[in-house]
Amino acid sequence: MSARKLIAALGACALLATGCGGSAPMGAAGAAAGRDEGPVKIGALHPVSGSNAVDGQQMRRGAQMAVDAINAAGGIKSLGGRKVELVTGDTQGKADIGQSEAQRLISAGAVGLVGTYQSAVSTNVAVVAERNRVPFVADVTASDAVYAHGYKYAFRVQPGSKVIATAAAQYLQQVSQQAGKPVHKVAFLHEQSDFGSGAADAFTAAAEQLGIEVGPNISYDATSVSDLTAQVTQVKASGADVLAVAGYYRDSLLAAKAIASVKPDLNAVWGVSNGAFDQPKFVTDAGDLGALYFSTNYHYDATNPQTVALREQYQRRYGDPMRTGAVLSYDAVQVIAQAVDKAASTDPRKVRDAIAAARVAPLTVGNGPIQFAPNGDNTNALAVLMQVQDGQVKQVYPPEKAESRPEYQVTWRP
Amino acid sequence: MTNTTQGVLTPEVSPPPKKTKADKGFLGRAGVVGGVLVVAIVVALLQSGSGLVVWQSVVTGILTGGLYGLIAMGLTLIFGVLDIVNFAHGALLAVAMFISFGMISATGMHPYLTLVIAIPALFLIGAAVHRGLLSGTGGKSLENQLLITLGLSLLLENGLLMFFGAEPKTIALPHDFQFPLLGAVVAGSRLYAFLGAILLGALLYWLLRRTRLGTAIRAVAANGPGAELVGINVRRIHTLTFAIGTACAGAAAALAGPLVTVTPTLGEQFNITAFVVVVLGGMGNVVGALVGGLLIGLVEQLTTIYLGGQSSLLGVFVVFILVLFLRPQGLFGRKTA
Repeated sequence: MSARKLIAALGACALLATGCGGSAPMGAAGAAAGRDEGPVKIGALHPVSGSNAVDGQQMRRGAQMAVDAINAAGGIKSLGGRKVELVTGDTQGKADIGQSEAQRLISAGAVGLVGTYQSAVSTNVAVVAERNRVPFVADVTASDAVYAHGYKYAFRVQPGSKVIATAAAQYLQQVSQQAGKPVHKVAFLHEQSDFGSGAADAFTAAAEQLGIEVGPNISYDATSVSDLTAQVTQVKASGADVLAVAGYYRDSLLAAKAIASVKPDLNAVWGVSNGAFDQPKFVTDAGDLGALYFSTNYHYDATNPQTVALREQYQRRYGDPMRTGAVLSYDAVQVIAQAVDKAASTDPRKVRDAIAAARVAPLTVGNGPIQFAPNGDNTNALAVLMQVQDGQVKQVYPPEKAESRPEYQVTWRP
Repeated sequence: MTNTTQGVLTPEVSPPPKKTKADKGFLGRAGVVGGVLVVAIVVALLQSGSGLVVWQSVVTGILTGGLYGLIAMGLTLIFGVLDIVNFAHGALLAVAMFISFGMISATGMHPYLTLVIAIPALFLIGAAVHRGLLSGTGGKSLENQLLITLGLSLLLENGLLMFFGAEPKTIALPHDFQFPLLGAVVAGSRLYAFLGAILLGALLYWLLRRTRLGTAIRAVAANGPGAELVGINVRRIHTLTFAIGTACAGAAAALAGPLVTVTPTLGEQFNITAFVVVVLGGMGNVVGALVGGLLIGLVEQLTTIYLGGQSSLLGVFVVFILVLFLRPQGLFGRKTA
């Protein structure tokens, strides 16, 4: 009897936890109210509440700073100096809410949307944008799936997960060769959802083309894992000389703890789109454990004086270091605003065409101006290699974006 | 209320003679469990081809399992005596962890010293929660207390989010160390957590078995109206039991602090596992919870070897379902009437 009661209760819990996933009623296509008078509205969709609220707030502020800068410089010139206004929505990190918020902002007259931090939310927002024919410029969205649908209205500033993973493999080969310890076998530890396994698959494909062996491929459940010692012991037993890690913040920190206990015979720990290894917070949380960890990821351009100035301004205004996500939001707003200026129109379809032809100087790392491939991806997006050195995250590769030289070694091996 | 609980909470009414038969059954079950474990370990050995990997998994599994056991002990106590499925247990654990984190960052005290604050604080919170929210639900439908505890867990999680933010936090153990154990590595913090869990488990067992309060708790669990007739204040015992169960979560939080990353949603991580442990050990059985915790810790680690690290919860749930099918009263519970 009691067992049955408990099962019923557990079932109810699981049901509630997964949420009902009810779809919000969709209104008619954007009414475009007030688009031709007053400020030009740009919509920002970020998870401002919920477990990613810290990043969401950062990104909303980044977008707001871009808007403020445009207004301070005289607004949209081709429209007689019309001001820009940021209209905001909170996705709470949930796909269905992101969808209804996108619809709301479009109905409120947004000429374009930026967002959203989570790939699952971006997937839904891209659908709404496409249906309403309003451009959606993603700032942070790692998943490549959204850009494989052939959408005309979806764009993306950050390098996709495949671009990052491919760069990670190339950088690894080059940096290890320069250090005189060429890599031969990489073990890959990753969380098991789309994000982690996608990164592992893309990395494996790229590495094997370069003649690097990848294996074992060890995955774990990021939501429930409480220890990774056994997994890292598998790495040690495999004889790999590099350990690549693709995880979120909490689990990557657990990985660092496990690596410090097991001390496998590695030459390097190599983050791939890793959610922790290039965060200033990781440096303080992990302390000595995280020293000399590498991470290949998108990043604000630390070698660009404009980016440095923007980050200083952010720090003064909000008392918090500006993260890469916020710089990407800044870039995404720039893309839309410059397209409005070029199109000399607030018609989202014309803005879309102007974005497709855009060339915008980025404040995040890139090979050149932001410009978009037919699938909406930023063709000049570039992943950069970072390393924890002397208690700081530094860009170390490729050389033209480097603040410091890569040190290809780990702390626990002489 | 029907008599739902057996095991440790059952008062020893009958004298020894019958014991031999029960012992045989118990030994038989323990033998089966042991046999299955040996087979599981051998299969893991064949699968991974490395003794070191399997040995490390076993060591990690047992050490983590102790902690699961401690968390589940509180849960099973509450379930056994009050018949409440407490979904807020994990959230209360998170609250305790933030209390511990707050003390450490404010005063720089040693993480394990926060035990003396986390345990009484959670005891009081537990008492308040029971008095304020749950004491009125006795005799009403299951959904009532279910929704209350679920609502409470949402409230606590979001409250923590509001006050502490979503940023993950870490508790560092000063002078943490590692030592090799026949090739496997053991982190000091993990060993301390395990030993602490065993010690507190023993303490709880002693409390239930050898003290007046424990006798009263077992009496209430076995037969509430009867206990009331002989002059036990059942409502008070209920509140005390809920408070003790919650204090277990407080102890687990202070012990686990250095092992995990502290986030407001941390409780979810342990909640489901703890429920499985409770079922496995026999609902209401405190010792069963501790042993069940060790088993689940092992299952979780061995699953990562079998399935190349896909969700380790998969193995845990397979065990859960098997137990429900084969022995719904749990490994250590006795058949209910």
